[in-house]
Amino acid sequence: MRGVLCPAVRREVSVTTATQRNVIESNDVNLVFGPGAGVFNQSYVLPEGTIMGMIGPSGCGKTTTVRLALGLFAPQNGLLNVLGRKPAVFRPLDREQIGYIPQQFVLYPNLTVEENAEFVASLYGMRRARIKQRMEELLAFVDLTDARKRLGSQLSGGMQRRLMLAGALMHDPALLFADEPTAGIDPVLRGRFWEFFRKLRDEGRTLFVTTQVVSEAVYCDFVAVMRKGRLLAIDTPHGLKKRALGGEIIHMTLEDPARLKEAAAVLERYEPVKKVLRVPGSDTELHVLVEDAGEWLPEVLNILENPDGPAIVVASAEELPVSYDDVFIRIMEQSEQEAPDGRDN
Amino acid sequence: MAEITDATPRRASTSTMVEGSPLERWLIRVRAYFRKEINELRRQPMLILSLIGGPLLVLVLFGASFVNSNPVLRTVIVVPEGGIPGFSEQDIRNLVGLNFTIEEFTSDPERADMLLRAGDVDVVQVLPQDVVGAAARGERPQILVRSNAINPMVEGWVQYLGYVEVNEINKALLRQQAATAQQEATTIRVKVVDTRGQLGELEGTLTGARRAEIQQNVAELRPLLAGLEARLPSDGALADGTGLGELRAGIGRANNGLAAVEAALSEDAVQARVDQIANAAAELERVEGLLETFTNTEPDLIVSPIEQRYENIRGGAYQAVIYYAPGVLALLIQHTAITLGALALVRERMMGAFEVFRVAPVNMIQLLLGKYLGYTIFIALAAALLFGGLRLLGVPLLGSLWEFAALVVLLILASLGVGFLISAVSKTDSQAIQLAMISLLLSIFFSGFFIALESFARPALAVSFSLPMTHGVAGFQALMLRGISPEWWVWVGLSLIAVITFGLVVFLTGRQLKQA
Repeated sequence: MRGVLCPAVRREVSVTTATQRNVIESNDVNLVFGPGAGVFNQSYVLPEGTIMGMIGPSGCGKTTTVRLALGLFAPQNGLLNVLGRKPAVFRPLDREQIGYIPQQFVLYPNLTVEENAEFVASLYGMRRARIKQRMEELLAFVDLTDARKRLGSQLSGGMQRRLMLAGALMHDPALLFADEPTAGIDPVLRGRFWEFFRKLRDEGRTLFVTTQVVSEAVYCDFVAVMRKGRLLAIDTPHGLKKRALGGEIIHMTLEDPARLKEAAAVLERYEPVKKVLRVPGSDTELHVLVEDAGEWLPEVLNILENPDGPAIVVASAEELPVSYDDVFIRIMEQSEQEAPDGRDN
Repeated sequence: MAEITDATPRRASTSTMVEGSPLERWLIRVRAYFRKEINELRRQPMLILSLIGGPLLVLVLFGASFVNSNPVLRTVIVVPEGGIPGFSEQDIRNLVGLNFTIEEFTSDPERADMLLRAGDVDVVQVLPQDVVGAAARGERPQILVRSNAINPMVEGWVQYLGYVEVNEINKALLRQQAATAQQEATTIRVKVVDTRGQLGELEGTLTGARRAEIQQNVAELRPLLAGLEARLPSDGALADGTGLGELRAGIGRANNGLAAVEAALSEDAVQARVDQIANAAAELERVEGLLETFTNTEPDLIVSPIEQRYENIRGGAYQAVIYYAPGVLALLIQHTAITLGALALVRERMMGAFEVFRVAPVNMIQLLLGKYLGYTIFIALAAALLFGGLRLLGVPLLGSLWEFAALVVLLILASLGVGFLISAVSKTDSQAIQLAMISLLLSIFFSGFFIALESFARPALAVSFSLPMTHGVAGFQALMLRGISPEWWVWVGLSLIAVITFGLVVFLTGRQLKQA
C-alpha cells in the first residue's frame, strides 16, 4: 500500500493498491515566477489508471502544475517524474503516450471535425489507415459522428470541447492531461465529459484534470485542492470530506426538545464521538461528529435509546450530506488559519 | 519528509496507435502540417480568386487603358498682343503641340497664372515678343515655361519637354534663316557669275563706260556678299560635305579680291594689278561653286547635319502591358508568399497551438517544412494559373520552361522566408500584416519594377537586393521577354535570402516554442 502525501497537513492517506504504479511523481517541486506567483513545494503522486482532479480558484497554479508535468516548464528545484522520466528530457516516444487538452480551443476553424482530428493524430505520427479506424471509434465516443464534415467554426462550444477531447485521444495516450475541460459548458455536457473520463479511466488510462467546479470532485479518484500555488490537500473525495470536517457528521432529531441538552451531554461522554453541536435555530436537532458515520450511527442510537440508560427517543438520524463546496470552503478556511500571516509562498 | 512511494516508476505501455519507423513518423508529422495548410487554403475561394483573377484583371485593364507613358500636360500659351512676327498660331501649335496639350491661347498673363494656380492647367508658356527679330539682333529671347507640378517625375518631364520644344524652335528659326539666305544666294550667284565674266574683260582694252559699269557691278556685289555672310546660320553642313564655314571664308576672300579690283579700277592701275584681278576672278569662281552647293542643299541638312536613326535589334519593344507582366508575376508571388508566411506562425502562436505542438512529439523543422511545402505548392499552382492567363494575354516565355519553374520555386521559398521572419518577430497578426504591407511598398519602389535600379544611390541597392522581388523581376524579364538565362546574382540572391531567412526563423521560432 502506498500513500499520497498531503503537504499542507503532512499526513499520508492510502490511495493506491500494490498493483498500481505511479504515472506522476512530484516531490517538493518549486517554480516561482515572482512574489506569490508559481507553485511551491508541490509533492504528490498520481497512480496509474486513476483520475486526479485538481481543484482551485483561477490563478492558483493548476495550469502551471499541468505544464510542469508536460515539460512545458522546468521545475527550479524538486524532483518531477512523469512516465518514469523527467519531462524536460521527454523523447518523442514519451510524448506519444501523452494526450493534452489545453484550456484554449486550439483546433482550426477552417478544417472540418475529421481534418482537425486527423491533424492532431498525424502530429503523433499515426498512419492514415489507423487514423481512419480510430476516428470512427472516437467520433462515436464523443458523439460527433454526424458532425464529422462540419467546419470547426460551425461547432458549438460543447462540440468544440468534445472535438478537442477526441483529438487528444486519437493516438490512444496512456496519460491524459485536461486543463479545465468543463469550463464554460453547461452542466449536462459537463456530466457527459466526466462520463467520458471515467470510461477512459476504466479502460486503464490515467487522467489529470483541472477544474474550478468544486462539485466535480465527486467524479475523481483523487482530488487535489490548490490555493495560491500550494497543494492544500490531496485525498479521495470521501477522504477529503472527512479531512475537512475532522470526520463525518450524524444529523439527529430528537422527539423531545426538553431532552436535547441531556442527549448532548451523554454523547459527549462517548469516546467515538468527537464533537456534538446544536443545530442553530432548532431545539430538537444535533450534529454529532464521528470518524465514520456509517460505522458509528447504530452505536450512537443504541446509547441514546438504551432503555436501561437515558432512553432518549430519536425521531431520525442519518449521515449529514455535505457538499463539496462546503468542503472546499472549509479547507480554504483551515489553510487561512494555518497561515494567518498570509504566507503563501 | 515522508517517502512518497516505494514503487519503482515504470513507463506506461507504448501506444498501439503509433506505429512505423521513426523516419516514417517524422515524415507523417511533416505531412500533417502540409495537409493542414492545403486544407485551410482550399477553403478560401476568395483568396484563390483574388490571387489569380485579381492580377489578371488588373493587367487586362492596364493593357486596355494604357495610352502613353508620357504625362498629358495641359498648357496655356501666352502670346504677345498682335502675335509673333513670322509665326502663325498654327506654326506655334505645330511646334508646342508636339509635347504639350494646348488648351488655350491668350495674351493675358494674369489669366494664365490664375488657371495654373487653380490647377486647371499644368503648364503656362510665355512666348517672347519678336523671336526672329531678336535672334537676328543677336539677342537671346526666352520662352518662359511655368508649371505647378508636385510630382517630381512630372516636373522632370515638363523641364525635359520644354528643352526639346526650345530646341525644335531654334531649329525652325535656323531653317528659316537658311532658307532666306539660300534665296538671297541664288540672286547673288547670278551677279557673281556676271562679275567674274566682267573681270576677264579687264585684261583687254575697254571703253571708259564699260570700266565704269564693271566698277559699278563690283561695288554693288561687295555689300551683297557681306550681307549674305552675315545672314548665314552660324554653322551648318552643305550637301558636298563642306560646311557653311567654308562658304563664309570663300565669301570673305572673294570680297577681299573684289576690294582689290575696285581699288585698281579707281586708281586706274588695272594693268599693274592683273594678278590681283585674276585672283579675284578665281575666288569668285570658287564662291560661285559654293553658292551653288549652298542653294542646292536642303535647309534641314544645313541646320541638323546629324540625323538620328533608331533600330531595335529585337524588331521593337513590347507593349507596356507585356513589359510589366513579369514584374506583376514576381509581385504576386512575393506578396502572396510573404502574406501567408507572415500569418503562418503568429496565428498559431496567438491561438495557443504552439503549446499543443510542444506537447506533441513534433519539432520546429517538421512544422516549418510542412508549412513551407504546403504554401509552396499552393502558390506555385496559383502562379501557374496566372502564367497561363498571361500567355493568353500574349505574354511570351522565350527562355527555358525548366529555368522558369526553378525561378518560381526559388522566389516562393525566398519570399516565404521573409514572410515567416515577419511572423517570427510579430506579436499580433495585425502587426504581421502591417510589416507585409511595408515589404510590398519597399518592393514597388526598390525592386526595379517601376523605377530602374540604376536610379538609386548605391547604399539603397542593399535594400533592393534584399528583396526577393528584385531578383524575381530581373529573372522573369530575362526568361520571358529576352529568352536568356537570368544573371548569376538572381539565383545566388534568392538562394541566400531563402537560406538566411530559414535559419533565422528556425532560431527565433525555436526560442518562442520553448517559451510557449
